[in-house]
Amino acid sequence: MRTFRNVFRRKLRAFLTIFGITIGVFALVVMGSLAEKITLLVNGGTRFYSDKVTVSQSHEGGGFSVSPMSVSLIPKLEAMDGVQVASATISVLFDKQQGASFGVPDLINASDLRGQSLESFKVSYAQGRPLKPDDAGKAVVGSDMVRKLNAQIGSTIKVRGRDFQVVGILDKTLTIPDNSVEIPFKDAQSILYNDLPDLVKSRLDSTRLATGATVYPKPGVDPNRLAQQINDRFPGYQAVGPQKFQEQVTNSTRIFTTIVFGVALISLLVGGLSVINTMTMSVYERTREVGIRKSLGASNARIIRQFLGESAFIGGVGGVTGLALGWLFTLAANRAGESSGTEVFLLTSRLAIGSVLFAIVLGVISGLYPSWHAARLNPVKALRYE
Amino acid sequence: MSSDVRGEAQSQARSGDTRLRALDLHKTYELGKENLVHALRGASLEVAAGEMLAIMGPSGSGKSTIMHIMGCLDNPDRGEIWLGGRRVDNLKSRELNRLRSKEVGFIFQGFNLIPTYTALENVALAGEYAGMSRRRAKAVAAEALAGIGLGKRLRHHPSELSGGQQQRVAIARALVNEPGVVLGDEPTGDLDTATSHEIMGMMREINQSTGTTFVLVTHNPEVAAACDRKVCMLDGVVKRDVP
Ligand SMILES: Nc1ncnc2c1ncn2[C@@H]1O[C@H](COP(=O)(O)OP(=O)(O)OP(=O)(O)O)[C@@H](O)[C@H]1O
Ligand SMILES: [Mg+2]
Repeated sequence: MRTFRNVFRRKLRAFLTIFGITIGVFALVVMGSLAEKITLLVNGGTRFYSDKVTVSQSHEGGGFSVSPMSVSLIPKLEAMDGVQVASATISVLFDKQQGASFGVPDLINASDLRGQSLESFKVSYAQGRPLKPDDAGKAVVGSDMVRKLNAQIGSTIKVRGRDFQVVGILDKTLTIPDNSVEIPFKDAQSILYNDLPDLVKSRLDSTRLATGATVYPKPGVDPNRLAQQINDRFPGYQAVGPQKFQEQVTNSTRIFTTIVFGVALISLLVGGLSVINTMTMSVYERTREVGIRKSLGASNARIIRQFLGESAFIGGVGGVTGLALGWLFTLAANRAGESSGTEVFLLTSRLAIGSVLFAIVLGVISGLYPSWHAARLNPVKALRYE
Repeated sequence: MSSDVRGEAQSQARSGDTRLRALDLHKTYELGKENLVHALRGASLEVAAGEMLAIMGPSGSGKSTIMHIMGCLDNPDRGEIWLGGRRVDNLKSRELNRLRSKEVGFIFQGFNLIPTYTALENVALAGEYAGMSRRRAKAVAAEALAGIGLGKRLRHHPSELSGGQQQRVAIARALVNEPGVVLGDEPTGDLDTATSHEIMGMMREINQSTGTTFVLVTHNPEVAAACDRKVCMLDGVVKRDVP
């Protein structure tokens, strides 16, 4: 209470200083929520790819560019020693002309379902049932796509201009299946075929098309070793095991996370500088008060504690308001993105607590020099100060 | 130190135990390389327990300086300070803090209250610095303020009080830890004659009822006349008892 009054004796200045910290913490919370969401996606992805090898046509870059390959690779893969089953898969963008998007873009996924029984990444169904090998014109909708497609069991959705009947809706998995629609393999082959340039079309058989293969190793076979063997045996293809996947994503997310936190920390440091400035001014203005306190027997430690308390208070109030604003912002942004299935922010409790603590610590650190300066004042000189 | 200095200091004590004794104090301020100000040049003073002493003297004669040194706010360059039979000019800062809060009370010309604190908080602060819990300090402070006629002004800030009321708050603050000595540096200097009279009467009453020793610096002959004894400072030395 007394701390509050001491800080707010210069109202505008206190407000501006606190506002500086608020902006910094706001940035930290918003940016951090972005990074937390990505971390979650990556962890989900890591689980998704935990025990299998995915094979695709090798191409520059990476990401989700699609290059078709022939299903003739499947029997060749299954002929390998460590392979139990190889399943052909198709993965194409949900919107043919999708712009840059955050994280995983919306996808159309399909599989020949040969590996279904071996799949360790179990998805559960909020409603309905999985696809069956003889389904045609049916679809299973990921949880983030439900709203976007206005999907209900039994309703008809449009995928690339074709009608599909919804037979299943997935629970949230926090990774790839969330923003994808799974359709029967044959339908996906036809969509993929239609996407191709006419020149290429004439040379291909639509029923032999796929974009990748998922390889399930035999029990006891190391998927990372198997991926290496596939890469050696089939040049032109790229096989990615769990470890490689992890490396790829953590590398790209680490850079992103570093930048994101860097930006937030810089704005917080600026806030910290303004706390130093404010506290220095405050000590300067209150020189006489320090003299009075010393004449009443205040120890140096006590003077330091008082001013540190004030700067910690500035940090704490700035931190809490920054957190509140950041929370509102992420809430609003997620709500706005909900309809399109892009919840970009994840405000975790560790991020929330961490940001406020950081702001308080920053306040304390910024207050160190001014407080120490106040404690060192000669009491008589301080009392004579006008 | 010469024995006649000791003798002089001794002779100043009137009766009873010596509460406060300054022996041959020297203090020099440096205002740049060549410019030395000798604020004290061998000042000695002895104050008996329960005595109310006035220090007079021209501006710049070292009155404030000797008060600060006797109140353990500043160190002398040379000389001794004895507080109730204990030498205090060579103590560690922790012990000096304790002395400032418990053994000595200060009253200043400009009142020196903390502007953001209420009357109650200003007085309680002294109790807190002396080691009381905040709650206890508040209780004691409320009592002290009531005793000095400000029971209805506890939640007022200094800016909401008259000069006389502010000085009464300062007196309550100086007394809250029941110190042996109260040092007042021109406590009535900023007050009009009537209020000055009232404040002086109040201090005199406290002095007589509690036996607290008072040392008051003053330019006001009326204030000095109300004291038991007065001394005069000139050029950094305590000259003599003024009759
Ligand atoms: N911090 C300081 N630095 C330099 N000189 C100082 C300092 N403090 C006091 N002095 C000088 O020491 C001398 C004594 O000062 P002091 O304040 O004790 O006088 P005083 O008797 O209290 O005067 P007044 O009646 O005006 O209050 C003065 O010449 C003053 O200028
Ligand atoms: Mg003076």
